[in-house]
Amino acid sequence: MSASLIRFENVSKAFGSTVVIDDLNLDVRKGEFLTLLGPSGSGKTTTLLMLAGFEAPSGGTILVDGKRIDDLPAHRRGMGVVFQNYALFPHLTVAQNVAFPLQMRGVPRGEIARRVDAALDRVQLRHLSSRKPSQLSGGQQQRVALTRCLVFEPKVILMDEPLSALDKQLRERLQLEIRELYRREGLTVVFVTHDQSEALTMSDRIAVFNRGAIAQIGTPADIYDRPANRFVSEFIGETNLLEAEVTGRGDDHLDLALEGGPGIRVPGRCEDRAVAVSIRPERLVLDAPELDNHLDATVDDVVYQGNHLRIHLSCGPLRLVAQSERRIEPPVVGRKVRVSFAAEDCTVLTE
Amino acid sequence: MLRVIQVIFGTAVAAFLVVPIVAILPLAFTSSIFLNYPIPSASMRWFDELAEEPVWRMSIINSLVIGGAATLVSVVLGTAGALGLRHGRIPLGEAVRTMFLVPMVVPPVVLGVGLQITLVRLGLANSHLGVVVSHAVLCIPFVVVSVSTALAGIDTQVELAAASLGAGPLRTFRRVTFPLAFPGIVTGGVFAFATSLDEVVLTLFVAGPNQRTLARQMFSSIRENISPAIAAAAFLLIVGTLLLAGLVALLRWRERARPGASE
Amino acid sequence: MLIAPLVVFLAVFMLWPLWIMISLAIRDDEVSEVLPRTAAALADWNGEGIPGSAAGQALADDLRGAERTRLGPAVRRLNSDISGFRTLMARTQRAADDVTDGAPIDLVAVDERWGETRYWRAIANAVQPYTDRYLLAAVDLERDPDGAIASMPEGASANAAIIVRTFTIAGTVTAICVMIGLPYAMLIAATGGWVRNALLLSVLLPLWTSLLVRTTAWVILLQNEGLVNAAITGLGLSDTPLSLIFNRTGVVIAMTHVLLPFMVLPIFSVVNAIPRNLMPAAASLGAPPLRAFYRVLLPLSMPGVLAGSLLVFMVAIGYYITPALVGGADDQMVASVIAFFALETANWGMAGALGLILLAATTILFIVYGRLSRSGAPIGA
Repeated sequence: MSASLIRFENVSKAFGSTVVIDDLNLDVRKGEFLTLLGPSGSGKTTTLLMLAGFEAPSGGTILVDGKRIDDLPAHRRGMGVVFQNYALFPHLTVAQNVAFPLQMRGVPRGEIARRVDAALDRVQLRHLSSRKPSQLSGGQQQRVALTRCLVFEPKVILMDEPLSALDKQLRERLQLEIRELYRREGLTVVFVTHDQSEALTMSDRIAVFNRGAIAQIGTPADIYDRPANRFVSEFIGETNLLEAEVTGRGDDHLDLALEGGPGIRVPGRCEDRAVAVSIRPERLVLDAPELDNHLDATVDDVVYQGNHLRIHLSCGPLRLVAQSERRIEPPVVGRKVRVSFAAEDCTVLTE
Repeated sequence: MLRVIQVIFGTAVAAFLVVPIVAILPLAFTSSIFLNYPIPSASMRWFDELAEEPVWRMSIINSLVIGGAATLVSVVLGTAGALGLRHGRIPLGEAVRTMFLVPMVVPPVVLGVGLQITLVRLGLANSHLGVVVSHAVLCIPFVVVSVSTALAGIDTQVELAAASLGAGPLRTFRRVTFPLAFPGIVTGGVFAFATSLDEVVLTLFVAGPNQRTLARQMFSSIRENISPAIAAAAFLLIVGTLLLAGLVALLRWRERARPGASE
Repeated sequence: MLIAPLVVFLAVFMLWPLWIMISLAIRDDEVSEVLPRTAAALADWNGEGIPGSAAGQALADDLRGAERTRLGPAVRRLNSDISGFRTLMARTQRAADDVTDGAPIDLVAVDERWGETRYWRAIANAVQPYTDRYLLAAVDLERDPDGAIASMPEGASANAAIIVRTFTIAGTVTAICVMIGLPYAMLIAATGGWVRNALLLSVLLPLWTSLLVRTTAWVILLQNEGLVNAAITGLGLSDTPLSLIFNRTGVVIAMTHVLLPFMVLPIFSVVNAIPRNLMPAAASLGAPPLRAFYRVLLPLSMPGVLAGSLLVFMVAIGYYITPALVGGADDQMVASVIAFFALETANWGMAGALGLILLAATTILFIVYGRLSRSGAPIGA
């Protein structure tokens, strides 16, 4: 990974007395696809708007290539922004929309025409160049918005939930298209979304936002497999989050008592007495005696989900969800089963 | 049974609303000197009278000149006002907006009494300029409302997009905001012109004999010497407003054919 | 500041005129402008006995310099309080002209009436810069010689009757508009396709047509030889033509026609927003159609009816053109009376006072309307 292109230093933002961003420090590396992920109101969009120049930070500073950009108005920042609803100019044709940033930069007429055609060719939209935005489908509008942004070769592209208005199938296709474009053109992208699966699919790194601060930042695998806290473990994917009490400490493991009594052994160290354990549903296996930990449970319900089964279990006061492949024989509701899981599949959370 | 009542009722009310307007039109072409049916034979004599009789002729010219000027004044001031109110960051914004709309509801007679004296004090009594500003006061709410509506329909993200693509505030206005608000401005202008064309009460108070407008002339003709010339003038006004209404409808239709504007 | 030019424009050409109109109603400088020195000299007179000789001196000085054209209205004004003032002032002015400025003069010697308190009191009252006499007169009241508010003698003024008549006509028109407009708006909302468009267009067409044209149309239709009477006599409903114009009937018909769209459109926008499945829902819960109408549709339409009624009433009370052209000469509404006072008799005080009453009524209705529309009732149009 190369050096940092954009740096947020102790940035904060408050609207009146409401603090939206609190002491944010964040690096965007050149050439990476960084996703800001979080629930609505977590500050991810505000972060993007401050970077684009649409909102001014209340404190701290933002650097691009080591230079402060606080005093630079939005139209001089040279960052490409793709908006949630595309924000295409409804009164201009596709070609005029794409030509707009070049006109603003005083590019000569002939060169504009050439670059607009070339840019539309790359996304296979040249045949639509004289259409108005309203005559395009959602996916086509999205591609025009992206092209309008790419055509002036910004040093970074900011995307604010660009796919949220599209239906699921189109969204998944465009996710791959954007990812492909990113790789081919060597872009730097800052992408905002509230959809965790979209973040996992597209990103090199993910910054998970919660209440105006970054709860965890890392690769998708880091975030999914080793959540740093309860918020991340629950927000990313689905998990069984079990309250537990530390009953013994080894060199590299802990003995825990779960609510209702059963004891398990997990890797890690910790000074606290009360902790939580996160176990992904797909890591819970029925009747696998070779694994480290076992719980006796009752099957409450079995839900058929196409490519897998979800099995709802109860173990005393604990409620668990296991996910298993369809190849297994579905357990009968009401039957007693033994649920097993490996120690390394457990993550101990203290926050 | 209910259905029959509905049909009769609906037809009756629609007829009550429309028939009087339609009924006056043929009388413009009567050859009789009486403003009444039956029409003995078709004739253009009353249109000729409008064109030749100096009083009518002058009033038509006055109406066009004053209407055009009042439209210009109200569109410029009203558009600027609507733009100023747009983002609601003005102190007392609500009060200012109400002030812009007040001319719509103040009884024109009341405004007329006050304006007559005001214009005397300003040295504008019995002048074309005085009539123009008086009409403009009444036209302004229509411009403010229709431009505000057009501005409210513009997605602010589109303007942010222009900034992100390198357009400064002025260029964003010229290239994006203004073209998108333009249909609203034209609609406001049409309403303003129609309002001025039809204005009688303020004109009665502030205009001298040289500023007589078509509407004012019709008003006194009906009172003093009713003749089919009035029907001919009414015919002109109806055709004029229908043309203007058609223009507005066309703009609205083009607006709607462009759903991207509001979504 | 983009709003500044418009604010300034409206301040000069709307707020200032309205302020002038209001001050016409309460200002009274006819006398004080002609007799400024007298006004100053009488400022601290207690109203008992006869004011000191300085007041007589001031009056003589004022009269000596007074122009005829300005003195005239002032004297007429004083004469309306106590008849005889005209001769008194003329004689006093002649006497004052004979004496040089500042020289002492004994007014009681000029005319012994200057020895009476009531003449001085009339002047003292008349030189006050503000007065409530116009406002009182607007509702047929006056102040008696002791300053107490009292009714004017029967038949002296018709202002109160005019105001009552204005509200009556506006109320009648509003009520008729509700009776026609509510079912019509519901009918539009219930139909679809071309019928709906035709019904809506019938409402919009008059709205788009010049008010003057519409009023002219009614003049033509309602006259004795007009189409309506031709139809009535033709159908044998009446032998002689009915008198439908230049009376209350004509005003109500024409104003209903003009204002009906302002009723239909707000109601329509409310009714049209009522979910279509509520009536079937009411039926499924056991309500017969009429009952469902009363319990569901009608209450939900009320905000539109209220908004439309306020709008129609507000516009109706200030109406000028239609009543002026279609109404009877002795059945005019307040706007016509204001125009008469201002344009024909230059009685600015009365024009201002009646205008102030009209403006106050309109303002109250406008505020109520604003509250309603802000609290969620759509205002349509």
